Amino acid sequence: MSRGAWTALLLLASTTMAAAPQAPATTFARDIAPLMYEACASCHREGGPAPFSLITYDQVRRRATQIAQVTGRHFMPPWKAEPESGDFVGQRRLSAREIQRIRQWVEAGAPEGDPRDLPRRPTWPDGWLLGTPDLVVTLEAPYTLSATSTDVFRIFAIPLPVAATRFVRGIEFHPGNARVVHHANIRIDATPASRRLDAADPSPGYDGLMPRSATYPEGHFLGWTPGQVAPLVPSDLAWRLEPGSDLVVQLHMQPSGAVEEVKPSIGLFFGHDPPRHTPTILRLGSQSIDIPPGEPRYVIKDAYTLPVDVDVLAVQPHAHYRAREIKGIATLPDGSTRWMMHITDWDFRWQHVYREVAPIALPKGTVLSMEYTFDNSAENVRNPQLPPARVSWGQRSQDEMGDLWFQLLARSDRDRATLARDVNRKMTAEDVIGYETMLRTSPGDTELHDDVALLYLGLGRPADAVPHFAASAAITPHSAAALYNLGTALAAASRLDEAAVALRQALEINPGSAAASANLGAVVLQQGHVVEAVKYLEEAIRLDPGNLQGLNALSSAYAASGRFDRAVAIADAALRLAPPGPLADEIRSRRDAYFRNLKPRPRAADEP
Amino acid sequence: MSRAKAVTVCAVLAIVMIGRPMSAGPLRVLDLDGRLVDPLAPAPGVRATVFVFVTTDCPIANRYAPEIQRLTSIFASQGVRFWLVYANPHEPPASIRNHLRQFQYAIPALRDPEHALVRFTKVTVSPEAAVVDPGGVLLYHGRIDDRWVNIGRDRPSPTRADLAEALRAILDGKAVAQSATPAVGCILSDFLR
Repeated sequence: MSRGAWTALLLLASTTMAAAPQAPATTFARDIAPLMYEACASCHREGGPAPFSLITYDQVRRRATQIAQVTGRHFMPPWKAEPESGDFVGQRRLSAREIQRIRQWVEAGAPEGDPRDLPRRPTWPDGWLLGTPDLVVTLEAPYTLSATSTDVFRIFAIPLPVAATRFVRGIEFHPGNARVVHHANIRIDATPASRRLDAADPSPGYDGLMPRSATYPEGHFLGWTPGQVAPLVPSDLAWRLEPGSDLVVQLHMQPSGAVEEVKPSIGLFFGHDPPRHTPTILRLGSQSIDIPPGEPRYVIKDAYTLPVDVDVLAVQPHAHYRAREIKGIATLPDGSTRWMMHITDWDFRWQHVYREVAPIALPKGTVLSMEYTFDNSAENVRNPQLPPARVSWGQRSQDEMGDLWFQLLARSDRDRATLARDVNRKMTAEDVIGYETMLRTSPGDTELHDDVALLYLGLGRPADAVPHFAASAAITPHSAAALYNLGTALAAASRLDEAAVALRQALEINPGSAAASANLGAVVLQQGHVVEAVKYLEEAIRLDPGNLQGLNALSSAYAASGRFDRAVAIADAALRLAPPGPLADEIRSRRDAYFRNLKPRPRAADEP
Repeated sequence: MSRAKAVTVCAVLAIVMIGRPMSAGPLRVLDLDGRLVDPLAPAPGVRATVFVFVTTDCPIANRYAPEIQRLTSIFASQGVRFWLVYANPHEPPASIRNHLRQFQYAIPALRDPEHALVRFTKVTVSPEAAVVDPGGVLLYHGRIDDRWVNIGRDRPSPTRADLAEALRAILDGKAVAQSATPAVGCILSDFLR
């Protein structure tokens, strides 16, 4: 650099120096309080979920160095998504300039400045932020959290006493003890499965995993992170709550060091009219995760091509302790790309549902993709296993997961149906991989075998279901249910002889099973043994007059034996039970054919 | 000019430090009734004194309460005296008493409103521990263990029990391998503002 340039720089520097005394100093009242009110005080306030308040000058100056430290490290405010991820509801992020301003203020001795510069202090309503809930539920008795050193995950099934179907526009979660409740996963269980697990544990709630039946209500995310309230959705986007359902709440609790009582309460807000649109939840991810011990960079990828135009309403990443970087990208048909989610320092404990401020429109043909990176080395301080061990996919916290969820809304009923069907196929195909992954480590788990076999049947892959039901039957050889499942899957795979053997064994163990009797009847009917088929099917209907499959098969069996009057009567009985749809249509057309056979005519000529 | 001044200040400090072990006189440390206490006063059977610096509302310090209590019960019978030192001068004795009850502490508590003990033991955050021998020599200061790597970044379980290891060395008559370790927690100097 030339001497001249140096001189110029020096001059510039001295000019700046000379100007500095006139430049207004950074003060609390004018420069820092607005940041605190905006980015910190929604949690750091009296009665808020944070451990101390950051509102007054005294409160803030006595944490000043700490505030500069944690904002400089981006630990606070807790907002994991990088700026390129987009704009989300409840977003709390300080700009580099704001972080710098805090640091300068602290270095200048944290001056108060002129109190007249203070902006109006924000206020928060006591109680419910979304209005008066239509229903408030809580635990019957508080859960007592002991002063252990490790985090606690506890699941509570809370009954939702509604007499008729309600249309839910939103929920508001109150942790009941903000000192220890760090975040909440919330699901709805329309079955008694969660309730039974909760009841089996003498204390409120239970440890373990949510049952498969505890799911997000169709098309919606639920959950709570500190300081966040998801706004109510418009009535036409509400979700249906059926009577008899339970709210299932998994609390992630960080013990405070003292014994604590925890009693969350949840307010539900209902709309008057049934929803007109249902969003679709798309899950990208891999369930074949298998990370070698010590591996510092293990990458999973997944992608999905949108079959219709959609609006993205929300994004939720999920992974456990070894995930480090989260990437979600949309590649539009014109080849351009945009970030949907980017987190460079994933922390399992700051999980959040990121709701778009404005829906993101993506055209048909857009590829939504995800790429997650995991660190299973000892260098990852959050690694729950030291020395590092091989880790595979699973829902327990020592396992790993890698999911990126999108809430998508298509623009017409027809598109919504197309999207729901296509997404369901995509996700089920990944679900079976997850089960196969879990079965590698737990090959003796009959529930896993049964669940994955049912998914295979749903995917129209009975041949893949057979080995799993066979494994279940081998593990529990005297279980009529296992043999029934095996026989049914064999029948669906057209392995009739083997199916008949399994179903006969099931009936030997439990002769009172209408379902086994019905399926055996249907199998032997396909084998051409009409008389035997009628015997089993009549027995099935005697045991369970409402067995639709049994009625359907029995009418066929009567027809096959030339007893068309009975075939028509039984088909009519089946039609009374069948819900409108392809099955009902099929029964009706056969019933009409049988009826034509009843008409007086030269019978012998028509008989096959 | 300013550098020369800094050297002078250091020299003065050094003299004070050398003088420190002779008497605890200048330490204005209070008990919860507001009485001046000399926590370093020799007592029969005491082989080492541990100060654990806390505040009532520091989440990391509170989370260590069971561990601090556990270490006390292990080492108290071996001649180690524990003190909890409340280092936020704005916390009144009543809330400290309440805090002791809530976190089931059975450790005598002190207030260090002017940070005399903070400076003497060179601690910077809550929770942080310091170990002083009966002669008033600082043998260890730093973290209780390495569970916290940083604010907001903690291990599922610690891999080093630094305070316990220091105490074991001292009780065995050995030198403390690492006499200073970095502690993670709530910054104490802010509380004097």
